[in-house]
Amino acid sequence: MATSLRTLRFDPGEIRYGRRYVWEFPIRLSHWLTVAAVIMLFWTGLYISWPQLAPSGEPWQHFVMGYVRMIHFISGYVLLISFLIRSYWFWVGNNYARSGFPFVWKASWWADLKAQALKYLKLHRGNVHLGHNAMGGLAYTIFVIGLGWFMILTGLALYSESNPGGFWSTLVGWLIPLFGGSMQLRMWHHTVAWSFVVFAVIHIYVVMFDSGHYNNGLISSIVSGFKFWEEGDLDNDRWVS
Amino acid sequence: MPVHTRPSTYDLLRAHGVDRRSFLKFCTATAAALGLEPALVPQVVAAMENKPRLPVIWLHGLECTCCSESFIRSSHLIVADIVLNMISLDYDDTLMAAAGHQAEENRKRIMKEYPGNYILAVEGNAPTKDGGVYCTVAGETFLNILQETAAGAKAVIAWGSCASNGCVQAARPNPTGARPVHELISHKAIINVPVCPPIAEVMTGVITYLLTFDKLPQLDRFGRPSMFYGQRIHDKCYRRSFFDAGQFVEQRIHDKCYRRSFFDAGQFVEQWDDDGARKGWCLYKMGCRGPMTYNSCSTFKWNEGVSFPIGSGHPCIGCSEENFWDNGPFYQRLSSVPVPGIESTPDRVGKVLATITAVGAGAHLVSYAARKASGKNSGGGDAAAVQDSKE
Repeated sequence: MATSLRTLRFDPGEIRYGRRYVWEFPIRLSHWLTVAAVIMLFWTGLYISWPQLAPSGEPWQHFVMGYVRMIHFISGYVLLISFLIRSYWFWVGNNYARSGFPFVWKASWWADLKAQALKYLKLHRGNVHLGHNAMGGLAYTIFVIGLGWFMILTGLALYSESNPGGFWSTLVGWLIPLFGGSMQLRMWHHTVAWSFVVFAVIHIYVVMFDSGHYNNGLISSIVSGFKFWEEGDLDNDRWVS
Repeated sequence: MPVHTRPSTYDLLRAHGVDRRSFLKFCTATAAALGLEPALVPQVVAAMENKPRLPVIWLHGLECTCCSESFIRSSHLIVADIVLNMISLDYDDTLMAAAGHQAEENRKRIMKEYPGNYILAVEGNAPTKDGGVYCTVAGETFLNILQETAAGAKAVIAWGSCASNGCVQAARPNPTGARPVHELISHKAIINVPVCPPIAEVMTGVITYLLTFDKLPQLDRFGRPSMFYGQRIHDKCYRRSFFDAGQFVEQRIHDKCYRRSFFDAGQFVEQWDDDGARKGWCLYKMGCRGPMTYNSCSTFKWNEGVSFPIGSGHPCIGCSEENFWDNGPFYQRLSSVPVPGIESTPDRVGKVLATITAVGAGAHLVSYAARKASGKNSGGGDAAAVQDSKE
């Protein structure tokens, strides 16, 4: 970026490009904790539902399922903590930390959603936002926040089965009868887990495409926290503030 | 006949030739099964000795009578005896001496003589479609009989899976509209004792509790007696073993399964007659419902303590859990996704969705590459293009 800036000719005082600290540390921490936890949860979950390894010998020599479940449960707690960090930062972070939330009661949110939807329908890139645009934020809310909490809560309900009447059982155990029993809850917990694979495919493809095609340093922003903007881009984020 | 002149359980047992030693043994065993402290055994004994028997009306609805069958095959010698003697079983379709009009009169008489004092035990459930005509007793629909009898009952015990959660006859598509007792009766204390069939010791335990303490045992979310679960946290001593024996809804079959070590080790039966099956490995992959099922069968077992499904090499089908018939197939680990059109396993659904997404992303990439190769840009407002033109 610096190279291209130098080659650009613009009047002194007229700033047309810049760098801004968008993703604060807790946001990035939460992102990578979620990535790590979901990867661990998914493969251990697959093993728990259909154990493939078959160690021979006596049972006291092995603890395969035991360890896999332990990893699954620990990763589940990591995911929960990551979500709690993110929820907390929604309230105390900068405006970008709130940009992914569907502010359905705000006219500005609907305006941004409409503008973005119309551009997408015309196969246009849409307006560049440093935070999330209303449509992207909506997708994140459904995919990550909605399904993420679904997985966390149903997972905790299943986890609580080993200690009925305990803390988690009291807190989220009501989900079991709500879904018509443990078998049904298990089935949905497993099915919805695949939505993370669907999400990961879309998410990774889109950020790589965007970052590669527009050279905007999108991927590095979730490591460094900095995003680059062009003249006019900052105006698109006004709706959230 | 007023209540206090009725004989107590102990009186009747003595009359039946049960000696005091056997009686005390029974009281101790039942107290242990209930998770009671040893200090409370005298209370059980006192209740049995002094309190008049509970008048009980035992109704049979849409069911197979396996609850009653199980009942008379308990492991403790006098358990069956106790149950049949402890309570005054004044009306029971299958066990009473009276027949015809006499029998029905008996039911009406108890309802009149002990309003709000008799226990209603229900085996089976009531079909509700077409006015309940699919189950009639003495020319009356079972639905009516159930609601009429429940109105004056002190408490209702729903024996077995039929009464507690519907069982076979309520499985999809449920042609007779069979519904469990708790959905048909309101404003009544209902104790659900699901299992198909319930274990005799469990049934005795519930009745002993009602007789001794004159109140309902603590119930869990599904209305099943959870038997002092708070004690488990504090009870780390020898009593824990008594408690484990009694916590028939507090612990999954899985948690006290004798094959649990194979589960934790990751050793599973893959086929019915493979080496693992011969070695008694875990039946998890054969569809065992042990991890989701709360029951006492792995402790008490059935038929005078002979065996229970897992002990006989068959996976648990979760008969004490709600809708267990609809959670099939029985020999599949996870039930199928019940969305119309995709009767499929969760994994198959997930793989298809993931593949469609990946193909979609791939198609976009290919079209992008093609457009780039042909020298066209992918839409206006392109940052890279703007930048290029300025350089």
